[in-house]
Amino acid sequence: MTVTSSPAKNAQLASIEQSGWGTPYRFLQPHNPAFWIYLIGVGAGAVGMVKYFGPGSSTYRVALTSGILFFAIYLIPWLLFLRRQNRYTAQPGGLLATGFVWGAVAATFWIALPANTALLEIWQKLLGPTGASTWGAGFSAPIDEEWSKALGLILLIALAPRLIRSAYDGFIIGAFIGLGFQVSEDVLYAYNNATSTFGAGQLESSLYILALRGLVGITSHALFSAVFCAGVMWILGRAQGERHVVRGVIVCLASMFLHFAWDDASGLFAGNVLLTVVGPYLILMPLALVVLSVVRRMASSTERAWMRDLLAPEVENGVVDQPLLDAVSGLHQQRRHFAKLVGNGRRARLLVESAGDLAHEIASSGGEETPRVAHARHELLRLRGVTP
Amino acid sequence: MTTELPGWVPVEHRWFGLDRRQLKPALFVLVVALLLIYGWPALNAVVPWDNPTRAGDVLDLGEGATAVPPVGWQLEDGALTRDNTGVSPTNDQVKLVKGGATIQMTGAAFTGSAAAFLSQVISAEDPDANISGAPSTFTTSSGLVGVVRSASGPGGDELLAAFKMSATSPDNAPALLIDASTVPGEFQQYSGEIDTFLRSITPGASE
Repeated sequence: MTVTSSPAKNAQLASIEQSGWGTPYRFLQPHNPAFWIYLIGVGAGAVGMVKYFGPGSSTYRVALTSGILFFAIYLIPWLLFLRRQNRYTAQPGGLLATGFVWGAVAATFWIALPANTALLEIWQKLLGPTGASTWGAGFSAPIDEEWSKALGLILLIALAPRLIRSAYDGFIIGAFIGLGFQVSEDVLYAYNNATSTFGAGQLESSLYILALRGLVGITSHALFSAVFCAGVMWILGRAQGERHVVRGVIVCLASMFLHFAWDDASGLFAGNVLLTVVGPYLILMPLALVVLSVVRRMASSTERAWMRDLLAPEVENGVVDQPLLDAVSGLHQQRRHFAKLVGNGRRARLLVESAGDLAHEIASSGGEETPRVAHARHELLRLRGVTP
Repeated sequence: MTTELPGWVPVEHRWFGLDRRQLKPALFVLVVALLLIYGWPALNAVVPWDNPTRAGDVLDLGEGATAVPPVGWQLEDGALTRDNTGVSPTNDQVKLVKGGATIQMTGAAFTGSAAAFLSQVISAEDPDANISGAPSTFTTSSGLVGVVRSASGPGGDELLAAFKMSATSPDNAPALLIDASTVPGEFQQYSGEIDTFLRSITPGASE
């Protein structure tokens, strides 16, 4: 196995080093204090969960079971969607699962639940019951919930310091932590809604929550958390040239504002019945999606540059051509352009995926030539119809 | 490229077998988490309630239904008619507190009679509670007919009252549960105010 030295090869090796791409993730790290804090958080969260659902688990069994079942099914399209977003320097599934569990168990039941309960009561005392019912949720959740989820990102950085480098890493991991939080909260709402009718019509109650939360799920924790955690990564500046404290703070505040506006929409649009009803969907939801899109585009720039450097020697060798490189390291616009160029959407998708496989294998091998790299290259050439 | 072996902590970074380099983020997470979990409750404990009910206050129970709270109790949850907040009778929450006594009102959607609603509440909340044998009828000044049951135990005394918020077609009307509880031996002291409060409940404006 030879590693030839050329500017392209050097750029490839530098991108592997900087991105941490291909570094294996191991959850079990008894030497790492972050591992123990993670276990404490998830353990305490699990105890909190049992304490919350335990006493009513027999009375509200139907609501709890159907809530878990409905939102487990609801989770599938989300996972498929986020899997598509986990491109460029794709994070290992184990790391994303670690984040998801933090969001679902620790962030919700260890931190956010007791913190929100106390803070909401403080607002009730300071603003009165009416003021608190209008503003309390928006003044509490963005603080307690965004922070409790972001703490998961800090722990994951300590567990996988080489893997989590760029703002896009924060964006993807934040989305998974947020998704865990969202699903856990949805099940809790299904349970709470059944308790509000004292157990009458539990299945209908869960279906109602599924319809309600499923519809607004787009503008929920996965989105807020992805944006917030990208901001945290800019503040920390863990990748070369990615330290943008002001940008990071603005992005974190934008996420918290979106969370606040969504929770307190009735207060914000008070006095206008039409806006109170349609404002969250016609104003806040598009605004949140625009913020998400802008942050995602900015966050991905470093990863896209790494991807280009990683495949640079393959471009030199003619394995990857320029349009394919642009597509595999590009945004939706570049991939759409590539599909037009190829003239076959499916073939274009396969080529991009195959080039991604090659990049993944090169990174996993540390830039060395291995049978897996050779196979990935051969597969790409086969798809391109080029004889090696 | 790094030459570190996964799981191997260089001796200069070891501290009681732990990797000192990850101590700072781990402690940061622990401290912030504990601040959120215990900091807010600690602050909450030192902020006093200051929302006493005054003469002339009327509680908004949604869709025109009202109740007159006893004067001098802390209104910890619930809206007054003058707030104009658009209360829904099926998820209305009211909490009044004074000394060792608490009155909680919960609105709910329920199809059936007040007696059936109270049975549903008891079976859902605590079927083993020391609830008195038979429910008794309670009629408010406005003519709403509800059912009342009482309970007593080492934790204190409790009165549960259930109403359907319509005198003409109660089965499909929103349900209202009132749970008045006191610490042991104090129910008698507040029973007059609780009774007056229950009698003040009126159904919606459509009645």
